[in-house]
Amino acid sequence: MKAFLIAIGNLFKRPATIQYPFAPTYKPDDYRGLIQHNPELCIWCRRCEMACPPGAIVFSQAMDGTQTYHYNRAVCIYCGECVRNCPKPGAIIQTATPASPALKDENINNSWAETVKQALESRAAYMAEKKKQAAAKQQGGENPA
Amino acid sequence: MATYYDIPVGAQHISLLEPLHFKLTTENEKIVDVEANVGYVHRGIEKACTTKFKFRQVSFVIGRICGLCSISHTTAYSQVAEKLLNLEIPLRAKYLRILALELDRIHSHMLCLSHVAENSGFEALFMRTMKDREISMELLEALCGNRVQYDYSIVGGVARDLRPEVAQMILTQLKELRSKVDDLIDIFQSNWSLSLKNKGIGAISREDAMRLNAVGPLARAAGVPVDVRNDTEDLLPWKQVGFEIVLENGGDVHARNMVRLKEILVSMKIIENVIQGLPEGPVVAETKALPEGEAVVRLEAPRGELFHYAKGNKTQFLERLKVKAPTFSNIPAFVEMFKGNEYASAPAIIASYDPCLSCTAR
Ligand code: SF4
Ligand code: SF4
Repeated sequence: MKAFLIAIGNLFKRPATIQYPFAPTYKPDDYRGLIQHNPELCIWCRRCEMACPPGAIVFSQAMDGTQTYHYNRAVCIYCGECVRNCPKPGAIIQTATPASPALKDENINNSWAETVKQALESRAAYMAEKKKQAAAKQQGGENPA
Repeated sequence: MATYYDIPVGAQHISLLEPLHFKLTTENEKIVDVEANVGYVHRGIEKACTTKFKFRQVSFVIGRICGLCSISHTTAYSQVAEKLLNLEIPLRAKYLRILALELDRIHSHMLCLSHVAENSGFEALFMRTMKDREISMELLEALCGNRVQYDYSIVGGVARDLRPEVAQMILTQLKELRSKVDDLIDIFQSNWSLSLKNKGIGAISREDAMRLNAVGPLARAAGVPVDVRNDTEDLLPWKQVGFEIVLENGGDVHARNMVRLKEILVSMKIIENVIQGLPEGPVVAETKALPEGEAVVRLEAPRGELFHYAKGNKTQFLERLKVKAPTFSNIPAFVEMFKGNEYASAPAIIASYDPCLSCTAR
């Protein structure tokens, strides 16, 4: 009988559940969200790339030595290792913004594999070029002597 | 002559969320023999940890073994790596690890309790327990920044400090949770229809539990005082934060429910003590050393004793990493628990055992 009365009473109470998606769910203000890179502060040491467990960061390098930062939100696990390993405060930070879902059109996995490949190739090309220049310089230095 | 029927449960079954297979041999409705098979999934995590990831990155990979006790795996691995590095971590980091471990225990135990209720046919209690569990999930999110993958322990300490607002939030919300858990204890203890499905069902005696090396709540419900928190003090100061062992005598589903509920209360007490007595200081210890030698670590995960072994050879990559999950240790005792029960009780027994196959089959 008591259970019956409680059941009737519950019909007139507000729902006990959270009204998601009409009401927001709890999110802490230091939620571990997307990673943001600041090229103005970065010293291009690539420590974030080396520390990142899944490999969500990669730097490509142009022939004049300038590097570009690439980041894949779908590979990132939001661990914050990159931020902890960065020697320059503020160069890379973790925001509280959750990642947006990856869409089919983005082709996020395959295009990322392509980006990583190109980035590594560009770095190898830069290194090879530098070596060649160094060798030429050394030769140039040796010959007159 | 009796006729025996073999009934398969799993690897995909409505009351079994995990890829685990049982072959129950029944005589009429009674289970007389059980065979368990756990090898349905292989993810190659141990191999990946020694070939693809540097030792500092492994603590994040290891956390992905299991979503429910990811903090147990990360902490156990971080501890084993610290042993290889000969690194002593700050006391504040140890306290914060305890805080995360105990919050995780609360949510994991509540999940198990809700599944027991569901598999015993008490759907409303399932909903209610899950709803109350949400509080502990929120607290973990506030502490670690994510609901499921906490990534809280790192080699050398913990990833982030406890903010004062969060500490305050944990204390207030725990008070709220406490009254809810008290209500749940009342229901689990005295609800008549639940008692039919839980009391005296799936019982295991103290002798059997000891002989079959049961661990975790399953052993403690049978009166065997095994709890890593009770045994060792060298890695985390459990006694200092007020840990007490919870024991029951029945060994049945009901006793396991009671152990879990009371452990939730103990965890809450520990959390309060941790927050109130949190020492000052840094949260990470830095080192440039590389792992060398061999080490083992035991840690009390929500389901029982978790065992990590690691071997390093002074490079960035470990030579070997071995994880033994509590579910695996409990399988012999679990098989024993089924025998002599009705087939209809099997779902409740399975849920009360709280199997975690993502920890076991990697
Ligand atoms: S948060 Fe973790 S996974 Fe994401 S980019 Fe940084 S190191 Fe990589
Ligand atoms: S670790 Fe910091 S400074 Fe170095 S490359 Fe990454 S963002 Fe730049």
